[in-house]
Amino acid sequence: MKANERWIIVDGRGGGRLILFWFTFLIILSSISLAQFKLPEYETVTLDNGLTVYLMEKKDVPLISFSAVFDGGVIKDGSTSGVASFTAEALRFGTTNYSKSQIDSLFNFYGSNISTYANADFSGLYTQFIKDNTEKLFPVIKEIILNPSFPESEIEKRKQRWIAELDQAKESPRSVIGSYFNKHIFGDSPYGNPVNGTKTGIGSISVEKVQEFYQTNYRPESTAIALVGDFNSTDMKKLIAEYFGGWKNQRQKLISDLKADNTPFESASAYLINKENATETTFLIGSYGTTMNNEDQTQLDVINTILGGRFTSWLNDELRVNAGLTYGARSRFAQYKLTGTFYISTFTQTKNTEAAIDLALKTYNRLFEKGIDEETLLSAKNYVKGQFPPDYETAASLSGFLAQKFIYGLDDSIINDFENEVNGLTVERANELIKNYFPKENLQFVLIGKADEIKDIVAKYGKVIEKSIEEDSY
Amino acid sequence: MKLIVILLISATSLFAQISADDVHTFTLKNRMKILVLENSAIPNANMYLFYKVGSRNEYIGITGISHFFEHMMFNGAKKYGPKQFDRVMEANGGANNAYTSENITAYTNWFPKSALEVIFDLEADRIAHLNFDTVMIESERGVILSERSTGLENNPLEQLWQEIQATAFVAHPYMWPVIGWESDIKNWTKQDLENYFHTYYAPNNCLVVISGDVKLDEVKSLAQKYFEPIPAGPKPRKVHTVEPPQTGERRVFVQREVPSPYLLITYHVPQTGSDDYYTLDLLSSILSQGRSSRLYSSLVEENQLALEVGTYYGDAFDPTLFYFYGVCNDAVKASELEKAILDEVAKLIDEGINENELQKVKNQKLMEFYRTMETISGLSNTIGTYELFFGDYKKLFTAPDDYKKVTVDDIKRVAGEYFTEQNRTVGILNTEEEQ
Repeated sequence: MKANERWIIVDGRGGGRLILFWFTFLIILSSISLAQFKLPEYETVTLDNGLTVYLMEKKDVPLISFSAVFDGGVIKDGSTSGVASFTAEALRFGTTNYSKSQIDSLFNFYGSNISTYANADFSGLYTQFIKDNTEKLFPVIKEIILNPSFPESEIEKRKQRWIAELDQAKESPRSVIGSYFNKHIFGDSPYGNPVNGTKTGIGSISVEKVQEFYQTNYRPESTAIALVGDFNSTDMKKLIAEYFGGWKNQRQKLISDLKADNTPFESASAYLINKENATETTFLIGSYGTTMNNEDQTQLDVINTILGGRFTSWLNDELRVNAGLTYGARSRFAQYKLTGTFYISTFTQTKNTEAAIDLALKTYNRLFEKGIDEETLLSAKNYVKGQFPPDYETAASLSGFLAQKFIYGLDDSIINDFENEVNGLTVERANELIKNYFPKENLQFVLIGKADEIKDIVAKYGKVIEKSIEEDSY
Repeated sequence: MKLIVILLISATSLFAQISADDVHTFTLKNRMKILVLENSAIPNANMYLFYKVGSRNEYIGITGISHFFEHMMFNGAKKYGPKQFDRVMEANGGANNAYTSENITAYTNWFPKSALEVIFDLEADRIAHLNFDTVMIESERGVILSERSTGLENNPLEQLWQEIQATAFVAHPYMWPVIGWESDIKNWTKQDLENYFHTYYAPNNCLVVISGDVKLDEVKSLAQKYFEPIPAGPKPRKVHTVEPPQTGERRVFVQREVPSPYLLITYHVPQTGSDDYYTLDLLSSILSQGRSSRLYSSLVEENQLALEVGTYYGDAFDPTLFYFYGVCNDAVKASELEKAILDEVAKLIDEGINENELQKVKNQKLMEFYRTMETISGLSNTIGTYELFFGDYKKLFTAPDDYKKVTVDDIKRVAGEYFTEQNRTVGILNTEEEQ
């Protein structure tokens, strides 16, 4: 893309709508059939040190995507909130032979960037470069993964900015509501940990804590590197072995005994986050969802497409198109390795809070009361099939899939049997899946808005737990 | 052990994968121009329609109507009534979106190749016979007001942005926000929409780009069947207002409770495709692209003055603004960050840059070029953008070479020419004004 489109109004037309003209307007629908989309061929290699390597050649542009994933994410934060994310970023703060500014300058000089991150289940490193520069950048990537030096001066500087950023993020309800939701659903169990940590947690980070997290969670046998792009696999394998084959981690491996606590909620409740200068109420409604490798997920996603996964979905149709209450309403499953959530999300002017929540609930209940009909199901099936191939069009998305495959134990059939799986969903089965998977009782509400003005309304949906957005924790 | 074969890429072999010759063009009798790129990497295709209308074509009283119109394009025509455009498209496996800028309005459809004809039918129906349902107009007004307020609610910079545009421009319609002023959103009429439609939504004011798993012949015959019968419209009135030169620094303050101040600095600069375009675009990269860029490395990392800094030089038909923006670090005053940014600008003008730094940003442009080439939607959007803003899509394919021509002297000269005090507007958003 030539220009940054940040300041152009790009309309998010991805939410849902209702069927006013449904019975008068007959669309002759047939099931579309694509040449079944398949994952391109790739090779898997395990080095002697246990490192898993995926290699997929893709030569439409002379670029290579490099994605490394480490089995250890925010759920391993323990008593230091934010340490997983901080450690991931600190990998780039300097290594045995390269300073932080040398790392940044080198990648930028070759037109590239390198990013390191953590999410709930894993940490990762991603970069993409022009194939000619492979051997210029591999030595640096190697050191970032194998020999980070975690210089104290860089760590202290970053801590200060990180803490200020946590305050800044709370200016945008939509960017922090997910952290409040997970905290409310998972409480003090590891999946309740906020990805970017708390100010107290970040403030307590030290070189030792970063070292400790690194030593414990970055190990060859629990790491995968996925390479997708314009290379020859035989040559690339040798190169990977040369740079990463010598990686050892002498530290005794800890066996994780993390378990998710998915005890069902016994009552509905509303977690109300007061933001004094809010003019809108931003809210999520939901509960537990599904885990990452749930065998019914493809079919569940078809059902969610109808509820809140596309522009004509029920939620977007009712809340946006018919009622004009919001710019968008949607629903989704957020899946993790050991647990997951399902939620409806939208926002509205403070004065419309009750109308929007009531309409969201009423629309959601259609799933249970009326269920899915044949024609809507066919449309949704066509939609998800038609939109599927572009999801795996780029080297970045393909390397992302291979990396997640490693972390979550995903099977290639998720892609290769996608169309069969979608086609196999009948109305009866859809309505069965709704009963089994979509939370119906004791829904949990998380809202960010002006508490004084909406407190009484919110009380109608469940026991209210109030908190100020200015408090450090979520 | 070095077994990877290093290929030295020359400028000519860079674009071996897709070249300008792969783009086919034809023009219908109603003067609608269509560009086609066949690419069967995935069994999908897209259709991008660019209308040459944006907020620069508006006037006081109907600000934001281009964007509102973009929404109304989904609300019913003749064959496909309210809601049917989306419903039919999605039932056929397609999805869509749209965006409005100061300059253009773009409609984007992504679909499995089997849906190509349906997409033509849907688009032709709304170009030829858009209908304005009174009920839909009213509910859409609510949607737009929500879109406007959620943008302001979630992003203080957006609030400052609209104030600085209104300050930097005194004559040209780039002075108002694309989304429009709230009172205009609440008050424009059905008649305003109809006038707008008849003025700007004609095939001769539209550029179509189609790429993906399609065949040129098929696209041609479908275009002839669906688009060609739509009559051409009169040529829209030219935007003739020229912003007079700024004759002194302007300043604006916005009060809003925030943890730390937000800052915007703008300078008037020439439009996309002008002689200094490539230099200005590279200047933007030198200043803010990547962690080694001048502003980021100095202000965010080294001196810890900002949490975020950036520059922006967007596509524009008319002379536009070059933006610097920043969010102060905790306990840093807006005046400190402003001074630091201006010091960086002064350093650039006084000392210029070296060849290595210039090579870096040219390499960054090459990467961007390849990334664009990797997806059919990137291709369609960029081909269309170049055709509109540079007057020729072929400029996309020569872009890496065009950037190569920029010299270190150009960078110094252009920075000195435009980044002057009298050409500058400064905007600050903060809980209270600094004394």
